[in-house]
Amino acid sequence: MALPWLSRSLSGLLMETASLNCQRNFSVSAVAAAIQKMTRVRVVDNSSLGNTPYHRPPRVIHVYTKNGVGKVGDRVLLAIKGQKKKALIVGHKMPGDRMAPRFDSNNVVLIEDNGNPTGTRIKVPVPTHLRKLEGDYSKVLAIANSFV
Amino acid sequence: MQVKTMNLLCHSRKVLSSVLRTSVFLKRTEAFGSICSISKARCISLSVPQHFTANLTSCQNSHHTASFTGHFDIKRCYSESEESRNSESNGVIEDDSHELDDNSSENSSLSRRSLETFGLDVLVSLLRQENAVDLCVIKVPEQIKYAEYFIVVSGVSPRHLRAMALYAIKVYKFLKKDEDPNVKIEGKDAEDWMCIDFGNMVVHFMLPETREVYELEKLWTLRSYDEQLKSIPTETLPEDFIFDVEVTK
Repeated sequence: MALPWLSRSLSGLLMETASLNCQRNFSVSAVAAAIQKMTRVRVVDNSSLGNTPYHRPPRVIHVYTKNGVGKVGDRVLLAIKGQKKKALIVGHKMPGDRMAPRFDSNNVVLIEDNGNPTGTRIKVPVPTHLRKLEGDYSKVLAIANSFV
Repeated sequence: MQVKTMNLLCHSRKVLSSVLRTSVFLKRTEAFGSICSISKARCISLSVPQHFTANLTSCQNSHHTASFTGHFDIKRCYSESEESRNSESNGVIEDDSHELDDNSSENSSLSRRSLETFGLDVLVSLLRQENAVDLCVIKVPEQIKYAEYFIVVSGVSPRHLRAMALYAIKVYKFLKKDEDPNVKIEGKDAEDWMCIDFGNMVVHFMLPETREVYELEKLWTLRSYDEQLKSIPTETLPEDFIFDVEVTK
């Protein structure tokens, strides 16, 4: 439990010493895990449900995989605005495959129960290795604007 | 006689579609208009050979960009098809003939299978044969490494969409070689939108209402200039945002 505090203070120390000696900047990032229950996610399509502001961020309440960990291309159940909605993960903060893109936020696209996307456009870049995965991703790739 | 005229229609449409495809390279917005106009005029079923001359003239009138060249190409194709009807599987007649000549000999069918690949022409011709409504073929630019061709088709009813998708899969399975991967229908339980991803081509079967909602043709022709994309408000960071390490419990 003390470890994150320790690491933070250490990184703070290091940054100070660096500024004293030579102007070198570190990039500091926290430990990132893939998407599981109770993670806050970012809805990236232009659906009204995902974009209207609410006092609570959308959270994952169930991951539809064998283990409870969600990677790119997995379906999850979100709690948004007091209602349950299925969604598809299109990017997470956790580093995955070597040549697979890693995102700065856990991105998710809202989906109906029959697999149709709720929004009509996705502005955020979507990984292209979704195409090779097993599953119905052509619809999400069809409404995406940019690919990574 | 009926088979021959149907073959002629297929060839004429194939030629016109190839002419259309070249026009897509030239100007995007203009091509979008021409593709749509042709697709609306194209809802003519193959099994009406008596009026084929009338159909040909109406098609030529509606296609404003290359009417004359299209006319001459049709004449040339007709003479080609006349000669090559006698000879067995020729490289020239690729793909349309296999759907019409169901009662051909086994030798010819086997050799035809090795010669023909499931290309764009095969797909477009079989979609037309299935009375697809508003067929739209978009050539995806090279920068977008998704597919080469993006096809959107409408259907009359969910049953029609399902029938078209299953027929496309059937034809693909017949024509594919063993090293080609198997293709599945995505969105089988969604009755208004189904997709099939054949490697270099992607086909979307939608109902007209769904098509209006998503407007995929607009997105894929005008990539970043699309209206729905522009209407998404750009996200700005709040003023008090500090990108810092998130300390978890």
